[in-house]
Amino acid sequence: MELPYVVVIILFCLGIYTIIMNKNLIKIVVGVNIVESSLILLLILISFKLGGTAPILDRKYELVVDPIPQALALTAIVIGGSFIAVMLALVIKIYKRYGTLNVDEIRKLRG
Amino acid sequence: MSRVHKIFRKFYKIGLVLFLAIFLLFIFDEIQNLDIKRYLSEHYISEGVQETGAINLVTSVLYDYRGFDTLGEATVILTAAATLSFMAPIKKVKMLGTEFTIIIYQTIIIIIPFLVVLGMNLIFFGHISPGGGFVGGVILAMIPILVTITYGITFSENKLKANHKSLLEGIGAIGFILLGLLGIFAGSNFLASGQANFGLGNPGELISAGLIPYLNLMIGIKVGAGLATIFNSLIKEG
Repeated sequence: MELPYVVVIILFCLGIYTIIMNKNLIKIVVGVNIVESSLILLLILISFKLGGTAPILDRKYELVVDPIPQALALTAIVIGGSFIAVMLALVIKIYKRYGTLNVDEIRKLRG
Repeated sequence: MSRVHKIFRKFYKIGLVLFLAIFLLFIFDEIQNLDIKRYLSEHYISEGVQETGAINLVTSVLYDYRGFDTLGEATVILTAAATLSFMAPIKKVKMLGTEFTIIIYQTIIIIIPFLVVLGMNLIFFGHISPGGGFVGGVILAMIPILVTITYGITFSENKLKANHKSLLEGIGAIGFILLGLLGIFAGSNFLASGQANFGLGNPGELISAGLIPYLNLMIGIKVGAGLATIFNSLIKEG
């Protein structure tokens, strides 16, 4: 087991821990962000080859890293940015309506 | 009783996370020891430059082999920007902020032309050097964001109206689809640029790689306008 994979596991589990342990909505959004960055790190690790160059073939290279996971990582970054923006806007709306960010209090307000 | 219950719940959650960690450890151990041959990526690396005409293989995967995927991404940004624009209040909101010194106001004016050049360079050279439409679009979106932060939301909305930004975003989205339809008229599939023989040119020149530079431009316009819209809507909420 190489060290970078352990880092991915630690980041992923920290994100999940943040999501299920915290009551504050902003902290839950931060947890989702941590999980997403761990997945991007995993995609980069899958494409990595020791001694390979970046996939820009202006000369003849012997060893080139895998371009497909890098393209998928770009997709993940774009979609992550979009949904975090939408989540933050919804959090702002919830705070304006209920005056609190605590998940338990919002649940109690339902009556 | 309630306190014991709370402590039990806490340990239960920690145990769940630890269980997940051990599960992932086993899965990654399997992934590492897999002895697979990556036929697809080897094909892209050996044949990709001849088939698409783009030197940058990430761009050729993103805009030629997986063009449909990129269309989906563009739709996600469009949806996010549209949702945030719906939620943002129409009335003018006083933005939180401070008065800066004159140094910052003057420096922003000097920085903006360089940002334009950098963003356009990243967009237009996306198929022959590192970069591409998404990165260039993000750099271009930094300009309205910087103006909004320093000069305030009112000045920014006066200079670059929200309608114009959504018009630019629409041009980007519709242009991407129209360029994709060009592949059908040439007798091939939707969003085909290498297969449809659009004069691929010499790999490494600025005008080469068929439709890829134009698709890059459309995505750059779209991402820039979309991110600027998202930022201004979030600022107006607060």
